Amino acid sequence: MLVFAISDKGGTGRSVTGTNIVYRHALQGNDVCYLDFDFGSPTAGAIFSVSAVARGAPENGLHEYLRGDCTQPRRVDVWAESDREALRTRPPGAGRLVLLPGTESGGELSAFTDEVVNRCAQLFGRLEEEFDLCMVDVSAGRSFTAELVLAATARLPAIPFRWLVFHRWTRQHIIAADGLVTGADGLLDVGARLGHDREDLHDRIRFVRTAVLEPDAAELVGLRDEQRAWLSACDGELRELARRHGVGRTAMLGKVPLDPVLQWREQLITDEDVLASKIANAETAAAFDELAKKIVDDSAWEGL
Amino acid sequence: MKIQPRQQLLELWEAAARASYRDGVWNWGGRDGSNSISDAEQLLCFMYPAYELPAFRLDTPDDTSDDVLTALSVLGDPMGIPKLLLDVLGQYLRKYTADDGRPLFSGGSYFRPQDEEAKVTPEQLQLDVVDSFSMSVTLALGTLGFLKIFERSVRREKILREIGELRELAGKRLSAAMTGLLRSFTFHTFDPGSTEGRALLRTVNQTGAPERRVLDDLRRALGPVRAGLRDLTHGLDSRKKEDLEENKNLLFECGWTWGIVKDAPDVDTRLDIGPQPKGVAVDRPFLYFTVNALVGIADLFSERTRNLGLLNDDQLTLARAIQHRWDLTQSYWRTIATFGRGVWPLEDIPWRTVDERESDYYSLGVTAMVVQSLVKNRSADVDLDRVAGVLEELAIRARITRRAVADDPPVRMHSPGVAINLHGSDTLGPHLQWVVSDFAITLLKRTIWAASIAQNTRIRERLLTLADQIWRHILLRRHTDGPAAGLWDQPGNVFGDIQTRDQETSWYFTERVVEFLVSAAKSIEGPPLRSPQLVELAYQMLGEAEHLLDHELVKRPLLPGQTIQPKLGSIQASLQRARAIISDRPATRRR
Repeated sequence: MLVFAISDKGGTGRSVTGTNIVYRHALQGNDVCYLDFDFGSPTAGAIFSVSAVARGAPENGLHEYLRGDCTQPRRVDVWAESDREALRTRPPGAGRLVLLPGTESGGELSAFTDEVVNRCAQLFGRLEEEFDLCMVDVSAGRSFTAELVLAATARLPAIPFRWLVFHRWTRQHIIAADGLVTGADGLLDVGARLGHDREDLHDRIRFVRTAVLEPDAAELVGLRDEQRAWLSACDGELRELARRHGVGRTAMLGKVPLDPVLQWREQLITDEDVLASKIANAETAAAFDELAKKIVDDSAWEGL
Repeated sequence: MKIQPRQQLLELWEAAARASYRDGVWNWGGRDGSNSISDAEQLLCFMYPAYELPAFRLDTPDDTSDDVLTALSVLGDPMGIPKLLLDVLGQYLRKYTADDGRPLFSGGSYFRPQDEEAKVTPEQLQLDVVDSFSMSVTLALGTLGFLKIFERSVRREKILREIGELRELAGKRLSAAMTGLLRSFTFHTFDPGSTEGRALLRTVNQTGAPERRVLDDLRRALGPVRAGLRDLTHGLDSRKKEDLEENKNLLFECGWTWGIVKDAPDVDTRLDIGPQPKGVAVDRPFLYFTVNALVGIADLFSERTRNLGLLNDDQLTLARAIQHRWDLTQSYWRTIATFGRGVWPLEDIPWRTVDERESDYYSLGVTAMVVQSLVKNRSADVDLDRVAGVLEELAIRARITRRAVADDPPVRMHSPGVAINLHGSDTLGPHLQWVVSDFAITLLKRTIWAASIAQNTRIRERLLTLADQIWRHILLRRHTDGPAAGLWDQPGNVFGDIQTRDQETSWYFTERVVEFLVSAAKSIEGPPLRSPQLVELAYQMLGEAEHLLDHELVKRPLLPGQTIQPKLGSIQASLQRARAIISDRPATRRR
């Protein structure tokens, strides 16, 4: 299964949520890999705490592979190469967790040729055979990268794929997330142009809300009642807005609550962070866990 | 116990979901087994609030509120709930359709033989009942409304196809129920000198006036209804109308009998409803069934039905014919119940029917029609005050707001209930009865209706206090354990004399509780009652405050660095807000 992670705007927490989902999926016993296609700023290495590729790989990164400069992109086994103590040993029962970093100072993709698409498709095909889940981090907004992976998947009709659109729970983000999917030159437009069936592609897209502050969250305990009533009314308005933009509950795969750890430092939330040092909230880990299950659960994608 | 409709509806939904859906299977039936009415009642426990109250909508998964989802979590996730409803609505609509495509409105297990030894025949079980027509109108409208909105959230072909099929089935059921209602409406004529005539005259003559004059007055008062009945079309025997036309001396009664009238002609309509069944019911209105029909019919003209445009042109024709009967029936019973200048016949409890039977149940039925008519006419509070007196009296007599003594006869009204003889059913087997035991909840429903139209604070308070008292009684009658925990009805909790303990839910009673809670929620939605004196007082206080502020602003020299400025600004803002809300909420205090 290929999963493409995209967000409507920068700073939504796409990478940190995506990596955490992949991490949880590995803990659930699956072999997973994470492809950092965010060529402008390949920072997935930092989130996995692999300092050797913290800002992308010095050589043999995904850039070079796509350009044809190397035959195989570099692979990082997170369980072996991470600097974090908690990640360094593979927990019993967990599957493989592999990172394919981008190239350090590789730069955003500015155009692509047919060969690039072919190489990309080949890579996807190979990895899909090898891993249960491959998550591809496709940067923010409309980009050549998004177009590239749409073109590549159009050439791989037999390989199942899904898209996750990450967005925050605010007016602007809700509108932008909808625009990214259904707007002019959005995913559906571009996908249809590149040979995807529009309806079929639409069915493969789900939204994930990040940094959500529920009106009844513990963080809001200190607020005055008037403020809370107002927040609750705002939440209702957003819900209404989301429904009108097709970003409502029916199109949502899950939501991740606001967590101080993710706000201050983008990192994987391990069980140790929740249970031992207690710096992260249990709800956050639970949300990642659920997303990691739902992402491959067909009934969660069935929809209406 | 204050009535809190939202919380209580959510609690009820949670309990109803638990009782209805176990291990992935929908459990039909309850205390009285599965039949077209009980199953509709069970579904309406969910569909009715979802249809009537915006906060309880289940048709737009994107908008369903979180507490509703928590209450219904037994039924599935946000998208699973409407899918399950779709499934069970389909089960219901298909189960109660005959092989020839005719929708069934059979009383089934609700029929009881008069002689306990006798066995009800299969043909009798299949007889259509007015209760089922009435429930079906409400359920079909709820279903159609649900489908219409839910469809917008659906993209999958399979679900869309199912929605299309159900829309057809529900539309057909609605048309058939309306036809049934037309064919079970009747009026009954009798001579003033007959036993029936004398009974009616005795009822309306509360002041002992000369009979001749009462008769003249009554004829004059009923003139418009008589004229209206003559003009009725659809499903009425034309000979009866001629009878009424030719004999201006005859008195009459109008309303619904228990099922389709014997020899009722078919309703001429282009709607596809399958063959129209033959009737056996006696050609005479029953108070209980009349009230029952009126309740379901009201949904046909509700605001939501009109807004969603749920009826097609042919259905609208039928609905108009029904509405005509609705108006006539209401105005007939209101005329009778409030006749004369002294004590109302309604206040002479218990009500006596023309066949000389007496029961508090009949008083309640007539009160229901009077209240409904008052609701419709936005009537004067003077009338409401008298109705409030009747409602209070009924609550006392039924031992709802008073304790029962040992062997108290009124207790039997709650359990086992009052049996109504279904005359005409004996042509197909033993004589059948219809047992009704919804006195307490119906009384409560009428009380909250009356309260919702009261314009006078004192009368409203009086009615709401009564409603709270009855509600306390009803709450005590909930099951406390077993599969039906949190649902109704266990009258043994309140009345020591009642020994029977049922384990299963009575959907009959529970659905009526839902109806009540929905009316209660709706009556709270509107703005609060405002007393004119309070508004006047608030204006005077505001005037004084504004004058003082202006005075201060004129007098005070403007100097830089004055700390008083922000203070004055905030006073100005407060007064501005006061002006904005003064006519809606004159009692608001500045904080």
